[in-house]
Amino acid sequence: MNQNKIIITIISAFVIILVLTQSFYTVSEMEQVVVTQFGKPVGEPITTPGLKIKVPFIQKANFFDKRYLEWDGDPNQVPTKNKKFIFVDTFARWHITDPLQFYKRLTNERGAQSRLDDLLDGETRDNVASHDLVELVRNTNRQAAQTDKISEMIDDSLQDIQIGRAKIQKNILEKANNEAADLGITILDFRFKRLNYVEDVRKRVYDRMNSERYRIADKFRSEGQGEASRINGQKERDLNEIQSQAFKEAEKIKGGADGRAAAIYAEAYNKSSQTRDFYEFRKTMETFQKTFDSSTTVIFSNDSELYKYLQKMD
Amino acid sequence: MANNQSYEIDIEELLKKHYKKVIAGVVVLLLVFDAFFQIDPEEVGVITRFGTHVRTVDPGLKTKIPYLETVYKVAVERQMKQEFGFRTQDPDVRTRYARNSNAKDESLMLTGDLNLANVEWVVQYRIDKPHNYLFRVRNADNTLRAISEAAMRQVVGDRTVNEVLTVGRAEVAGKVKVIVQETARDYSLGIQIAQVVLQDVNPPEPVKQAFNAVNEAQQEKETLINEAKSAYNKVIPRARGEAEETIQKAEGYATKRVNNAQGDVARFNSVYKEYARAPQVTKRRIYLETMQEILPQLGDKIIKPGEGDNMIPLLNMQLNKNK
Repeated sequence: MNQNKIIITIISAFVIILVLTQSFYTVSEMEQVVVTQFGKPVGEPITTPGLKIKVPFIQKANFFDKRYLEWDGDPNQVPTKNKKFIFVDTFARWHITDPLQFYKRLTNERGAQSRLDDLLDGETRDNVASHDLVELVRNTNRQAAQTDKISEMIDDSLQDIQIGRAKIQKNILEKANNEAADLGITILDFRFKRLNYVEDVRKRVYDRMNSERYRIADKFRSEGQGEASRINGQKERDLNEIQSQAFKEAEKIKGGADGRAAAIYAEAYNKSSQTRDFYEFRKTMETFQKTFDSSTTVIFSNDSELYKYLQKMD
Repeated sequence: MANNQSYEIDIEELLKKHYKKVIAGVVVLLLVFDAFFQIDPEEVGVITRFGTHVRTVDPGLKTKIPYLETVYKVAVERQMKQEFGFRTQDPDVRTRYARNSNAKDESLMLTGDLNLANVEWVVQYRIDKPHNYLFRVRNADNTLRAISEAAMRQVVGDRTVNEVLTVGRAEVAGKVKVIVQETARDYSLGIQIAQVVLQDVNPPEPVKQAFNAVNEAQQEKETLINEAKSAYNKVIPRARGEAEETIQKAEGYATKRVNNAQGDVARFNSVYKEYARAPQVTKRRIYLETMQEILPQLGDKIIKPGEGDNMIPLLNMQLNKNK
């Protein structure tokens, strides 16, 4: 009797708890719910968080994420329009905007991821294949800044683009969203994460970069030698110019002085026949003084002016 | 043994007697444990009741309705960082870094001139909107990584490899920060970007040597030019000085020449003035005075008759003997 009572109490408590847990459920901030009755959706999807009620056992709450969800593309090897093979790694963010539709079309997130793979990978492939590599890499027609000698030397410039990365991303996003319109999802954003050359193209790019750099190095070296030779030549030129200029100047000055001295002498000595005479006489005397010394032997005639009195007095 | 038996019975009896109190005590304990919680200084607590975000609490000892409310702790004050192209392995005074192939894929990127560059960078960020961080995005940190990679490649994709390697560094970091911040806001990540810092920016390994060769050649060029300039400077200023010397000497000569001429002439004129007064006498006087002056200095003086030219050979003999 007593034991039966306990058993009944336990069973009824269990039933009450079961009914309660089947009737109430909580929806968190990150979730939304579609209530189904024997698999058939009932009413509007529940998108606000809180404690909710449903008919126990008959109705079932199907939870879906409400947050922005990840999608990461499989790194794909795709040829561009100009036949460059590149790896393209993409990502997207999406969310379930219509859980009912989502539930009907895709059942769960795995289904959605697989559809997104088809849509986005396909669009990526199409878009990459219909554009040149530079259109995928560049975003704007920004002009390259001449950073230093090196960039000047290789004439650093960026190829202009018609479309650009942002527009291609947007194009893929729009097309994929159009196709995903009836899936109950919206792709929020799509971007190229990584673009890179495939291995053997990369090798060729490295070869090109190498040859370009060595070309610059050679040019630097030859410029250095050229500049050094130029300076050397200028040194010789300047040296000759300076020396000859100085010589010219000095000779001019000396010549001018000589001329002036000659004029001064001429003016004084050439006044009359008397001055000429006197000058000649003085100069002769002076020359005697300057040129005669102890090693000089002089032979005078005794009829000379000096010794004429040796012969006879008048 | 008997003792033990009685002890067990004691407990059973006690439980039977007081089981309601024991259950109530356990329930109260469980409620109290779930009602109180601690929020650390760098955190805030986001509290939800039946899944709904009802309030956010600051650090300290806080309470909530047990079991009906849940607390999420979010470290909003902590500066977090993501590394791209390398991983800090052992942060210390002298930090060690690891660069595995996965990290290398992160850093290798195409530049706008379709070259390749290795760009390593760090994104520092904080969670500034815990609600968004928790409830609006699944895996916000991972999303931030993807955004950062895309943003860096977008910015580098509009620059030449030279720009990225040299002057563009600061500009690139600034642009990336703006893009990441904008995208993070669009995605409602609840994340505030503090800083984007470029670390090593290098040419890829296979072309490093060539890039270095350019630097070396540039140095070499400078050296060659400097050497030539130094040779120039060794010679030319000296030559200029010497030229100046030559000219100064010429000027000196000129002055001297003219002064001498003027002196000579002045002397001549004054002597001439006297001479003009009595030319014959003066001339004779000068002649005789000169002779008087020079004759004593002379060596051999020979006086010969006016017409005795034939004695010259004899004189020669005597002169030779004297030598």
